[in-house]
Amino acid sequence: MTMPPVDTKAELALLARMQRGDESAFVALYRTHRDAVYRFALLYAGSPAIAADVTQDTFVHLMTQNRQFDPTRGSIGAWLCGVARNMARRQCGVREDATDPGELQDDARAHDSQVDPQSPLDRLLRGELAEHVRRAVAGIAPHYRDVLILCEVADLSYAEAAQVCGIDIGTVRSRLSRARTQLAQRLAPYAPSARGVKEVQS
Amino acid sequence: MTHDVLEDGLAALRRDIAEVHAPAALEGALVARFRQQHRRFPRPDFWWLPPLALAATLAIASWMVRMPHGAQQPAVGSATAAAEPDPGPFLALRPIERIALEPGMTVVETEFPRALLADWGLPVAPDHAGEPVRAEMLYSADGEPVAVRLIN
Repeated sequence: MTMPPVDTKAELALLARMQRGDESAFVALYRTHRDAVYRFALLYAGSPAIAADVTQDTFVHLMTQNRQFDPTRGSIGAWLCGVARNMARRQCGVREDATDPGELQDDARAHDSQVDPQSPLDRLLRGELAEHVRRAVAGIAPHYRDVLILCEVADLSYAEAAQVCGIDIGTVRSRLSRARTQLAQRLAPYAPSARGVKEVQS
Repeated sequence: MTHDVLEDGLAALRRDIAEVHAPAALEGALVARFRQQHRRFPRPDFWWLPPLALAATLAIASWMVRMPHGAQQPAVGSATAAAEPDPGPFLALRPIERIALEPGMTVVETEFPRALLADWGLPVAPDHAGEPVRAEMLYSADGEPVAVRLIN
């Protein structure tokens, strides 16, 4: 789910043409960024329907609110990810980022309710391990989850993730560390040794 | 071991999520939305004519409503006529037939003693005989006065 390669000059030219009503420029921007936005939304929300809604809303935002994009602060792809993040948070009913350290403690259990109880038939990903990881990612706290998706799956730099989430780079680092810890805990049962122990016990 | 499952898991997630694509139907819906937002109607060549005609009509109507009724049809030269009432017809000093045959006559405004009127057979009050009187003199081409009319 890496972000598409950025040719800033070409993208800004496309954006300018789109602002003048050039449909082909909008389509070019959409085709460049649609999958990254959809994948981010899918991992964040865990639901294809919500991810499709978020993707649509994000590109409608690109059509109607593109003056909000500041090219000095980052790429169009990162800006779109930020818009998608806000849309996904709204769709999922997530409150604003907590800034109180007490609220930012490992609260993985508090978000277990957000893991969608999908049956095997509802799997989004083909690989079994990938599907386990996707569900585990969906279960960690939202303010850790988005940093984890952006840095570990979308391959955004810390600076870009900071721009998307509206936080500083130090906070990105600390949240990513906590997110990895939570994810590792959730994936522990799938470690080969753990599976071996379970199989012996059963 | 936990580190391994974390890294393996993230790698598997990256690999599998790369095969997931946005629904194809989204593009059509978004393009339709884009067209709706940027729909423009071509501007006709003389687009400015109707608003200009409307503005002119309003201006004329406003002027007609506000204009005083007495000033609606001002006659040319009416101010001069009001200040200087028509002095009346000329009094012939020579026979009318001769005056009618005179070519190239001229009218000269002049001022002379009222007593001179007596020379042309016109009545003059003795009390005002010394006062000047303004008159228009009609002269023949050879400079002979043929008619006169008093201005005041």
